[in-house]
Amino acid sequence: MSTHGGHGHGHGQGPGDHGEHDRGEHDHSEHDRGEHNHEHPHAPIDDLAGYRPESLLLEQALRELLIEHGVLTASDIQRQIDQTESRTPVLGAQIVARAWRDDAFRHALLDEAKPALGTAFALDLANTPELTVLENTAQVHHVVCCTLCSCYPRNILGIPPAWYKSREYRSRVVIEPRAVLREFGTDLPPEREIRVVDSTADMRYLVIPLRPAGTEGWDEARLAALVTRDSMIGVAQVLPPA
Amino acid sequence: MTPGSRLAAGTPVRVRSGDPRTHCRTPHYLRGKCGIVVRALGDYPNPEELAYHRPGMPALALYQVEFDSAQVWGDRLREAPYRIVADIFEHWLEPAGAAG
Amino acid sequence: MTTGAHAVHDLGGDPAGPVDREEHARTLFDQRVDAMLRLLAHPQKGYFTVDAMRRSIESLAPVDYHALGYYERWLRAVRQLAIERGLVSAAELEQRMTQIAQARQASPQNMPGQDRQ
Repeated sequence: MSTHGGHGHGHGQGPGDHGEHDRGEHDHSEHDRGEHNHEHPHAPIDDLAGYRPESLLLEQALRELLIEHGVLTASDIQRQIDQTESRTPVLGAQIVARAWRDDAFRHALLDEAKPALGTAFALDLANTPELTVLENTAQVHHVVCCTLCSCYPRNILGIPPAWYKSREYRSRVVIEPRAVLREFGTDLPPEREIRVVDSTADMRYLVIPLRPAGTEGWDEARLAALVTRDSMIGVAQVLPPA
Repeated sequence: MTPGSRLAAGTPVRVRSGDPRTHCRTPHYLRGKCGIVVRALGDYPNPEELAYHRPGMPALALYQVEFDSAQVWGDRLREAPYRIVADIFEHWLEPAGAAG
Repeated sequence: MTTGAHAVHDLGGDPAGPVDREEHARTLFDQRVDAMLRLLAHPQKGYFTVDAMRRSIESLAPVDYHALGYYERWLRAVRQLAIERGLVSAAELEQRMTQIAQARQASPQNMPGQDRQ
């Protein structure tokens, strides 16, 4: 494996799940947006009840001062929000569906994920964390976590779910994975080997779930519709079609 | 391991013990535990330096290391054996069997 | 032993209850904090690194680490690093927060976090 020294590490990433500044991709900055968040396609919820009052004051004060001092602009912030919200597990599901159908792509993906994705999905992943793809099989089941913070293949799956960042998941999945998986409704056969992957450093992990029976001959779009976010984290399996 | 050395897949290693009390990416539950190198993941600036606004060079080798659940948890293990995989920087690894 | 005292963020193996699987939509507050971090840590700006951000979060008192929301932890870390890097001063932040709080009292519908840019 080649050296990655100095390229992007520690920059452009959040404290864990992050690092997705796809400057190579088009953004939506040319659109008119920003002033009316309730009309925005990624409109956030406006429930502020859960926050400490000083947090709300601090956020506004810090944002205003960073803008006034010329460190950031309001449009920088809005553009970043839009870009972050535009990334969803749909992309991951398309990647999985293609990997299920195309052996050459799957092998390339498992060998070195970023070049394989760059070619097949025209993604510019230059400023994103390293990525490894793990394949679930009839013999082995991978489940991904980050016990130290919230590292997550955000560039492929979007924002991590709250449970992924929770104390409970982070504490328990490395010491009782089968119990945690059962809470997600995932009861693996006893002979299935489990590998719990703790994303402790610069590598992010994406799981290719086991392709369910009854999907032979399906096209990519139909397969992708079966693939859930949780199956690409490894807490769920992809269920056979009803 | 000494900087610059390269660990091959299958090499038995032990994670160093200790608690630096500063930023590091080696989780406590793996410290002092023995595992097997799965593969080298490349070289990256040292996060323990980056955390304090320093450049973190020279870059350190990062290894994917696999651990057996029984080895990690001992008598705390409540489930059938499984494996844990984590990414550990070279300066946190030593040859398995060396005094920890 | 792995059960001894360890850093507040280093959770692997700790006793904990069932995983709450409820999905939470992000608020505008969450999105803005996230965006500020990403922009400041981006190599184009390079004001600080993700590891500096983690170091700052990890230095929270345990009571705050667990009581604060995820993005509230991030916000405190961004604040600390923005001060460390000279982007803002603690005093001007304090002063601005007071001003915002006063404006809010004078006009209660002017909630912080609800402002439009």
